[in-house]
Amino acid sequence: MSDVFTALANPTRRELLRLLLERGEQPVQQLADHFDMRRPSLSEHLKVLRDAGLVVEHPVGRQRLYSLRPEPLREVADWLGPYERFWRARLADLRDVLDGLPDE
Amino acid sequence: MSDPRAIAVDQFLAHPPTKVWRTLTDSDLLARWLMPNDFRPDPGHRFTFRTDPRPGQGFDGVVHCEVLEIEPPRRLRWAWRGGRLDTVVTWTLVAEGRGTRLFLEHAGFDPDDPVQRRTFTLLDGGWRSHVWRRLEQALSGTD
Repeated sequence: MSDVFTALANPTRRELLRLLLERGEQPVQQLADHFDMRRPSLSEHLKVLRDAGLVVEHPVGRQRLYSLRPEPLREVADWLGPYERFWRARLADLRDVLDGLPDE
Repeated sequence: MSDPRAIAVDQFLAHPPTKVWRTLTDSDLLARWLMPNDFRPDPGHRFTFRTDPRPGQGFDGVVHCEVLEIEPPRRLRWAWRGGRLDTVVTWTLVAEGRGTRLFLEHAGFDPDDPVQRRTFTLLDGGWRSHVWRRLEQALSGTD
């Protein structure tokens, strides 16, 4: 769980997930083309994602293809909600209070 | 990309910022939509919100707050501490047409605390609205 959090806490890794989500499976070089960083740094980000179970790598010929594996996010989704729902409900109440106040 | 350990919510309100500001800084009005409190709009003022205890989360029902920043009618920041939380709530008011867009950021959740991890949010609104929804669609396809 903490690995999933760590994986998502970084904008480069979120961008990697977005690319894999929108464009599907692709070789590491194609992913690297989107980033202004050295391959080793990108490889470290991909390793964090692999360790979190969010991506899988498999070799095809001489290439290593990456694809998204979103299942670990299910657990995250379950604890995303409560505080945000609290505030959204409070903001709806705030709007009702405002609508009942006389204008200044 | 905002802090992934923060919640960001915004809402349009069909009232001018000065009026919205009153609902954020008048103790009686705050109590009507948030919680009973002893808020005063003074920098450094310490106050509490009181609600129901949640023993399972180590929360006794008292949120200990402090006015960190107050800039009428634009910006208000509170320290927000209770249970295992040591967080900061920031309100920002931006005039929009004849109304106000009210932004709330609740920041400083601790990703290493298992209770917070289970209970609280992780991702910022932009990433969630653009990417998360599609990830959820991808997830539902794996059922």
